[in-house]
This record gives sequence, C-alpha cells and structure tokens, in this order.
Amino acid sequence: MTKHTHTLRITAENQPTVMEKLLQVTRYRGFIVTGMTMFPESDSSLLTIELSVQSDNSIEHLQYQLNKLIDVTAIKLDSDAASLCRA
Amino acid sequence: MTSKQFKTGAALVFEILQQHDVKDVFGYPGGAIMPIYDALYDSEVKHFLCRHEQGAAFSAIGYARASGKVGVCLATSGPGATNLITGLADAMSDSIPVVAITGQVATKSMGSDAFQEVDIIGLSLACTKHSFQVRNVNELAGVLTQAFAIALEGRQGPVLVDIPKDIQLAQVDQAIAVADKDHRHYTQEPANVGSALALLNQAKKPMLYVGGGVGMANAVDELRDFIKVTGMPSVATLKGLGAVNNDDDCYLGMLGMHGRKAANLAVQQCDLLVAVGARFDDRVTGKLAEFAPHAKVIHFDIDQAEIGKRRGVDAAIMGDLKVNLPALAIPLAIDDWRAHCQQLGHEFANDYTYLGKGIYAPAVLNEISKTLKTNNQAAQTVVTTDVGQHQMWAAQHMNFTDPSNFLTSGGQGAMGFGLPAAIGAQVSRPQDTVIAVCGDGSFMMNVQELGTIKRYQLPVKIVLVDNSKLGMVRQWQQLFFDERYSETDLSDNPDFVALAQAFNIKAKIITEKEQVSDAIEEMLTHQGPYLLQVKIDAFDNVWPLVPPEAANDKMIESVKK
Repeated sequence: MTKHTHTLRITAENQPTVMEKLLQVTRYRGFIVTGMTMFPESDSSLLTIELSVQSDNSIEHLQYQLNKLIDVTAIKLDSDAASLCRA
Repeated sequence: MTSKQFKTGAALVFEILQQHDVKDVFGYPGGAIMPIYDALYDSEVKHFLCRHEQGAAFSAIGYARASGKVGVCLATSGPGATNLITGLADAMSDSIPVVAITGQVATKSMGSDAFQEVDIIGLSLACTKHSFQVRNVNELAGVLTQAFAIALEGRQGPVLVDIPKDIQLAQVDQAIAVADKDHRHYTQEPANVGSALALLNQAKKPMLYVGGGVGMANAVDELRDFIKVTGMPSVATLKGLGAVNNDDDCYLGMLGMHGRKAANLAVQQCDLLVAVGARFDDRVTGKLAEFAPHAKVIHFDIDQAEIGKRRGVDAAIMGDLKVNLPALAIPLAIDDWRAHCQQLGHEFANDYTYLGKGIYAPAVLNEISKTLKTNNQAAQTVVTTDVGQHQMWAAQHMNFTDPSNFLTSGGQGAMGFGLPAAIGAQVSRPQDTVIAVCGDGSFMMNVQELGTIKRYQLPVKIVLVDNSKLGMVRQWQQLFFDERYSETDLSDNPDFVALAQAFNIKAKIITEKEQVSDAIEEMLTHQGPYLLQVKIDAFDNVWPLVPPEAANDKMIESVKK
C-alpha cells in the first residue's frame, strides 16, 4: 500500500508541552514523522511548526485531531511542499 | 489571616474552586501536596478521603456524571499522581469533565529524580484534554480557571493541573483578578441541515443511533422531542442508555456486541442511520464494513474529529445538539417501518426463563429496576457498574430515566469503576438512591473504598453479582479459546459478607431465587450502606453476543454443543 506524505504548517502557543503533545497525537493516530522544523514567531508567544508526516490514514483526520489541541491556534495542509526539513 | 493581600498559592486553589462552585473534592494527601491539604483545613470545600487515588479519580467521575458538574480530585506527586491515570483515561474516553490537581516536587528539585518525582505532565498528555504545570504562583488562578473552562467546553474531558510544592507555599502578593483567558473556541463548519433534511425526507427506514453525547450536551429533552415529532425508531449505545423514553415502543434498547437482537437487526436493515453524539465504537459496530450496510448516515456531533473517523457520513451536523436536533425535527411518513421495528421489539423481547436451579442475574437486575419504577423511585436512583458480565446484564435488563442515572465505564471498560463512582454519585446527590452493581472480580479492584463508605456513612447499596470468576473473560475462553480457563477462577474469594461487616456495612448473601424479592426490598429500604451478595452460576453467559469481527446480525445466543 502506498503511503502518502503530507506537510502540515501548524501555529501553536509557545508552551512547554506543545511539541510533545503534537508528536504524541501524530504517532497515536498512525503517522510517521519524516521531517520537522520549529521556530518561534518574533514575539516568542507563538511557534510555527512544519511537520512532514507519512501514513495510509487520512491526513484530514490527523488535522482534526491536532486542531483539537488547546495550544494549537492554526493548522494548514501543504501537501505539495517539498521537504521542509532543514539540512 | 491579617490581610487578604497575602495568601498562599494553596489557599488560592480553594478560593478558585469555590469561585467555580466546587463544594466537594475527592483525594488523598501526601508530601508534595501538603500545603494544599493544610489550606483545606481552613476551607469550606468538603474533602472526601478516598483510600486510593484511583478511587478518588473514579469518584470525581461519578460525581460529574451524576450531577453534570465538574468533578475534582487531588493527589500528591509521584505514585499519587500515577494512580490517577486510569481515571483520567476513563474520563478522556467517556468525555467526562474532571479537574485533577496534583502536587509536584518543588521547582528547584524538578528534573533531579527527586523523591516521589514523576513527570506527570508527560504521562498525562495521552489521557487528558489538556495539562498544565504552574511555574509561577501569579499564574495559578488563571490556570485553574482555564482548566474548568477547558473541561467543560466543546467535547468535555479531563484536565490536569500540576502544582509544585513551592508554588503552593508561595505568597500571592496581590489580589489576582481571575480573567477568563480567551481560550480556544471550536471552529465548526456550518451545519449541513439542507442535505440532512433531504436525506430524512427520502428515508423509508430511518434509525436513530443515540450515544453518550446526548446526555453530555444536556439534550435529553430535545432528543425526546425529536423522536416524538419524527416518530423515528431508536437504539442506544451503552453510554446513551437513559436518553430515550423507555415507554417508546419503537425504542429497541442497546445495540452492539451485547445489544438486543431487535436493535442489531433493525440497524442492519435501516436505510438511514442518524447518529447523535455517538462515535461508531467497535463494540457498537461489530465488523465495520458490514455495519448498517444499506444505510446513509447523518452524524450529529460536537467533535469534528469524530465525523468520518470510522464510518463515512452523508451529512454532518456539527455543534450543539440542543440547537441542531430541533432543526431536523420534521414529521416522517414511516408507519410501515415503525410497525416492523415494533414487531422486532416484541419478537425479541427479553426472556427471563431460566433453566438453572439458582439465581439468574438478569432477572435480579430487572426486578430491581421494576421495583424502583413501581416505587416511583427510578428518576431518583443512580446505578453504577463495574465492568464485565454484570455490566452488560445491567445495561440489558435495567431501565434508566436519564443518562445521568446510569454510570458505567464505557470507552475504557475500567474494572473497579463501580464502587468509587457510586461514592461520587452519592456525594453529589445525597437524597437519591445509589446502587453499585459490581462483579466479584471488579469489586476487589477498588474494595478499599468500603473504607470511604464507612467513614462518611454513605448509604450506597452494593449488588455484588458473584460467580467466583472473572466472568466475561471466562465466557470468551469458553467460546473462543477452547475452554482453556486461564487465570479466571476466583473460587478463593474472601467472605464478602464478613468483609462488608468489617466496615460496619450491613450485608447479606442470597443463593436461591426464592430469596431475591425479599432481599431487594430489604436492601432498598435499609437506611445506610448495604451489600447484597448474589451468588450465581459460574457458567451463566451474556447473550446475545456478536463474535469478534462478525457483523451485528451474526450474533450467537447460546453455547454451541
């Protein structure tokens, strides 16, 4: 079965647990992380996370699950993006 | 107290709890939460000392489910906090609003593997809606306020607040204005009412599939109005029991693995399934690809993530059921289908014929339910259960007037739930009758809570359905594991009557069916706590049963010889 790769651009509150929670939900819902970058916005209150994931499962459902997280403020699917993993 | 300007974080905890109308909490003290317990000493909040933190968590859940309020539990760091985890997982699966407050080692010791230090925030991530760790006492009030808001908003759930000991001891140097932080609101697609109305109008055989979300949304009245207007036949999940009026002759009871045959057959035949606050759980659907195979689906839910998670939908109605159910309540011309469902209901009505010599547990539970109805007591009675055969018998053979009157661990199936949940329910509804239907296996998992019942003289009635087995596992070993009864024998159980009496709880054992009626009356009329041990045959099974990976119309109803 072909696994699909997707890239999510996530904006989240800059809280200590937010990265763990994002990765925990991503793993639990059946996705493998193939690339990730994270950087704070200029005022440090928000983080931008670019997460590349791979799975047979519906990316839409991962988006719904991540969108439920209290610290996530926005989430955008960018499936056409090249790998966002910085070299 | 010389000035209100100087209070500790610990005192502030109770101030915030009282601001949220919390009158009762369940917990267990320990080193890292001692400042909070010291502040409790001066507080008007009533604390119930449970005898294990898991008991405290389940009691908070029982309290929340029976009252519709947020349940609150307290525990110390390390093992105290980890003992809450099963309760948090239960609250997460069943969407129960709970705020768990844990003590933590002082901030300067955190990360040093200190005594009774555990990363409870890390552990809680997978079983809470959200977790907070307070690192500054001036954030404490805002965090606790957010915790209550998050527990209740949208799809309800548990929130953990971890408070290091030095934060509990720190002085709040100014009156903290508790601002309700502009926390997240769920963005929802506009309700697709138009296409749903078209589906309703086209349907010849619609079926309402009622889940726990109806009770959680406080939408029982709206659901009953919807049924009255549409005339739609209905089935319910384990957590949805009590939502539909039991006198509705098109209500076919519980569906799923141990559902009524009429319910499962009708769902398999329907051409439109209207799921209301339900999540197509595997115990409901059986083999998913063959569940309601002819049906289009309308799905009402508050949680976008449930839409299409396990079953595709033709129309999704997102948002508050209290608003959305009336919008879809239109009269339907489905007389033939209604008549068919009524006929199924009559054909497969519960049968209490029992060929064994002893007591038949389904008949006992049904008699308790009927007695409560006859005494006009049903609406003022909460039934809790543990997990296993007795749980399914209670679901099948007892009737409930509201989902808040039947508390059972649905998603997690957590054994040991019944007794502490009953304690929480009794605390929240002191004038009502609370009956814990327990199994002998599950009962022993939180048996220490008899101490809580004794201490507070809570008049909980315990019906201990005793087959001296881990009955449900034994049943599966009989049916699916070649009768290899591995570790399911409990014939060396303690003397439960003596055990109850050791806690000053009146107790009785019955072994013959002729004893049942008098025993029920004695239990229900006794003023204090009471344990009724009901001995049953070890090989009584729960029927019907849909085998694993089978469609719901492939249920079995007896042991094949």
